[in-house]
Amino acid sequence: MAKEPRRLDLSPYLTREPVILAVLTGLAIASFLTVTGLSRLYSAQQASLAERWSARGVNDLNAQRYQIAITEFRTALLYDRDNGAYQLSLAQALMGLNRTDEADAYLVNLWARQPENGVVNLELARIAAKKNQTERALRFYHNAIYAIWPGGQETERRKTRLELINYLLQINARTQAESELIALETDIGEDPSQQTRLGELFVRVQDYNRALSAFRAALKLDRGNPRANAGAGIATFEMGQYAAAQRYLREAVAASSGDTASSALLATTESVLKMDPFRPQISDVERNQIAINAFNAAGDRLKACPSAAGAGAPPAPKPAAPSIAEAGGLAQQWQKLKPQMTPRGLRQNPDLLNTAMNLSFQIEHQATSTCGPGGPADKALLFIANLHEEN
Amino acid sequence: MFHSQARISVEEGRSGPPTPEIVQDTAVGRTPGPASISIFQSFFREDRFFLILSVFIGIFSGLAVVCFRFAIDWCRIYFLGSGAVQSPIRLLLAPTLAGLIIAVLVIHVFPLARGSGVNQTKAALYIYNGYIPLKTAVGKFITSALAIGSGHSLGPEDPSLQIGACLASALGRKLRLSRDHMRLIAPVGAAAGLAAAFNAPISAVLFVIEEVIGRWTAGILGSVVLSAVSSVVVMRWFLGSEPLFRIPPVELLRPSELIAYAVLGIVGGLASVVFASGISTLRPLCKSLRPWTQYLQPALAGLLVGCIAVLGAPQVMGAGYQYMDEAMHGQFTWQFMAILALLKIVATLLSFVSGTPGGMFAPTLFIGAMFGAAVGGAEHALLPHLSWSPGTYALVGMGVLFAGFLRAPMTSVFMVLEVSGNYSIIVPVIVANTFAYVISRTLQPVPIFDALSRQDGLELPSMEEQREESILRVEDAMQPPTEVLLEAKDTLDKAWKLASQREGNDVLLVRFSPSGWGSMDRDELKGFVEDGKGSQTLESILAGSSQIPYLHPDQPLDIALRYVDRWPLVPVVNRANLRELEGVITQRDVLERYRDFGGE
Repeated sequence: MAKEPRRLDLSPYLTREPVILAVLTGLAIASFLTVTGLSRLYSAQQASLAERWSARGVNDLNAQRYQIAITEFRTALLYDRDNGAYQLSLAQALMGLNRTDEADAYLVNLWARQPENGVVNLELARIAAKKNQTERALRFYHNAIYAIWPGGQETERRKTRLELINYLLQINARTQAESELIALETDIGEDPSQQTRLGELFVRVQDYNRALSAFRAALKLDRGNPRANAGAGIATFEMGQYAAAQRYLREAVAASSGDTASSALLATTESVLKMDPFRPQISDVERNQIAINAFNAAGDRLKACPSAAGAGAPPAPKPAAPSIAEAGGLAQQWQKLKPQMTPRGLRQNPDLLNTAMNLSFQIEHQATSTCGPGGPADKALLFIANLHEEN
Repeated sequence: MFHSQARISVEEGRSGPPTPEIVQDTAVGRTPGPASISIFQSFFREDRFFLILSVFIGIFSGLAVVCFRFAIDWCRIYFLGSGAVQSPIRLLLAPTLAGLIIAVLVIHVFPLARGSGVNQTKAALYIYNGYIPLKTAVGKFITSALAIGSGHSLGPEDPSLQIGACLASALGRKLRLSRDHMRLIAPVGAAAGLAAAFNAPISAVLFVIEEVIGRWTAGILGSVVLSAVSSVVVMRWFLGSEPLFRIPPVELLRPSELIAYAVLGIVGGLASVVFASGISTLRPLCKSLRPWTQYLQPALAGLLVGCIAVLGAPQVMGAGYQYMDEAMHGQFTWQFMAILALLKIVATLLSFVSGTPGGMFAPTLFIGAMFGAAVGGAEHALLPHLSWSPGTYALVGMGVLFAGFLRAPMTSVFMVLEVSGNYSIIVPVIVANTFAYVISRTLQPVPIFDALSRQDGLELPSMEEQREESILRVEDAMQPPTEVLLEAKDTLDKAWKLASQREGNDVLLVRFSPSGWGSMDRDELKGFVEDGKGSQTLESILAGSSQIPYLHPDQPLDIALRYVDRWPLVPVVNRANLRELEGVITQRDVLERYRDFGGE
């Protein structure tokens, strides 16, 4: 008997439940597609409104109409509440109105989501700096330096480090500022203006050697750069290289006659050079005459500042000659030396020059601390004193 | 064995045999076939099929809630404009005109769309066997979107809950589910709706269990969780998964700072009482006014809310989430936030008691956020050394009002965690919520949802009362084990000797080894002995008869009722040692205990 082919019986599977499940799945897919369509409409509208309000906000923020900008960015956030750029702009507008606490709240939240965002870190650092929260400010500045920046990453990092250096100088953290400057030194390429800026900052932290290198690098690229010449003049002056300072400052003044600071420093430098009896390559006659002039200038300073006249030796960095220190009042000492201060007296007693110059330096120190800074000759004497004492 | 079956049935909480309807519906009842068919059919048993259905309920509810959110936003843009600052004319006209339209719709087309929606869902569960007309969902969707979008001080969460429940109910009816499942389907949909509205599945599940269903069982929990999770997944697909609010982690400098949060709990508790009392008092008053005033009440409420907005507080309009966010970011002074909280109470009272459809969750959160940040700000002004973050206080404030006003203590804690995604806030939230809940319970004994349902003439079970109801246990009714206790291995002679020495019950308990209990009649035992069967053991005599169930002292007394009419004496045994008799219980003991309890 031929075996009947076995027929596939699906009827046990075609129960009510699987059919319902299939219908529900179809319905769910159809509903999903419908809502997706609606959602696209909704999202497009929300995005367009967000962009419209944010664009207005950016315009007002740029025009420093902060109050209006705040409302506009808030409206933009109503339509795109997680948009970090809008939140950041809102925080910036709030900062524009000095509402730092409110700005801080937005930025902290943004930071929690984007700790690597350079702009957010920088704004938080600025707020902390405003609130005198030094530790927090430094932390966020450093975060910002190593963070991710949109666009020119290196430029933004350099700018941020410069801002940090300025902040450090503002809070008198010179050593930290100097470290940051050394780090910055390697990032600055062959840009004379950047090198000049770097040199100026090194001057501010009193690292004159590095400052001079930066100014020289700038001058190498732009020979006549008046700012670089002026800066190099300051650096060399501070290092006691008055001849070099005179050279740089002359260049600076020649290139920019309105640079009064350089002109004044040049005058001082020239006075120093003129009044320094210790400088090399001058004859004994000339040296003695310079010493007499300096001694007389100190005498004039004593007359102009009588309260300094009776004082003993000021706490000078180095002790003065023992004979003077023991002698009592500066005026008395000066009077006592005055008759000897002649070309002949100086020729006969080679030690007299040192004694007279030491007394002159003491008089200038004392007069400056009692009566404030004197004229160019007095300042020059003080610089010579410092240079002499250092040597 | 019967005994073991009885134990399983007690532990799993099955209330009885399946209804004929279920047997008819389930695939298991059909002719068994090959293994694949039987696996296939068991997969589609109604309880499992209900779980699958819960996922679909979640999907449909999620989609509906997403559309509801779109509708609210579109209404807001068209009524109030797209800017954050609106013209006074719009502020006055939009809620007023919308109020008029809503009144007509609610009175003539969607009468069941009134109110928040929570009680309607409870009523569906307890009164209408899960029935909520689909028309209610449509009505709720339209009228609530109009109300919230036009600036009425109401929120979208409770309507979302009701929309979810309506969709679920409609689906259940279409599929002709059994009565038990039909009753449960509305809460399952409610959980899905609420979860999608809040983007908070745990809170939604807890709220529905805590406030709507009132009991935890694996079957219900599974369905509720599945629907809530699937609706949240759908909602996140369309609207993103970011938490509702974001605040930085909370840092308590010292534990004593918790006192500051306790103060917030006290203030929040008092505010909750004021808010709840206002609604409880004004709502019946508005309802008792002449019928024609019902047409004007929503419009008048809208006008007054618009006036508040024009006078300088537009933040009170609508759900107000954006302003809660701004409060958390310290955009308002604490004094202004305190004023906003008070004005929001007024605005919400006006909107809600006028019969405008809409929810109370969002306004509650708004009031809580503003009070929280205001109290935090005031405390910081007084004690500047307190660590102060407006976001933290605002979030804790939300939880406080949720616990105090809605009286859902568990939900309030999880809700704050979920909407912020911030676990570090939990300790302040628990401290503050406890104070708010206790104060609110003391000063306002009837929770707001219960008060509202009673005003509507519905006597729905109060979940709070149920939670705190003292129940009788077996140990309250059992008698000490003074009866004669026979061992199954004893001979009948020995057993009779023991039994005849002491007077007592006509029924004697027999203890089997290693476990199990049986019983024998005193007269029956005597009969066996007199018949000359004294040398046989009790075990051999009782071999054919079934053992009797036993109870434990901590079990609810209701369970004892199932056994005491079938067995005259039920042993109560120790859970650690099933052979150790702790007492016995009879029908009379149970009934007497219930009678005494009723008198207490």
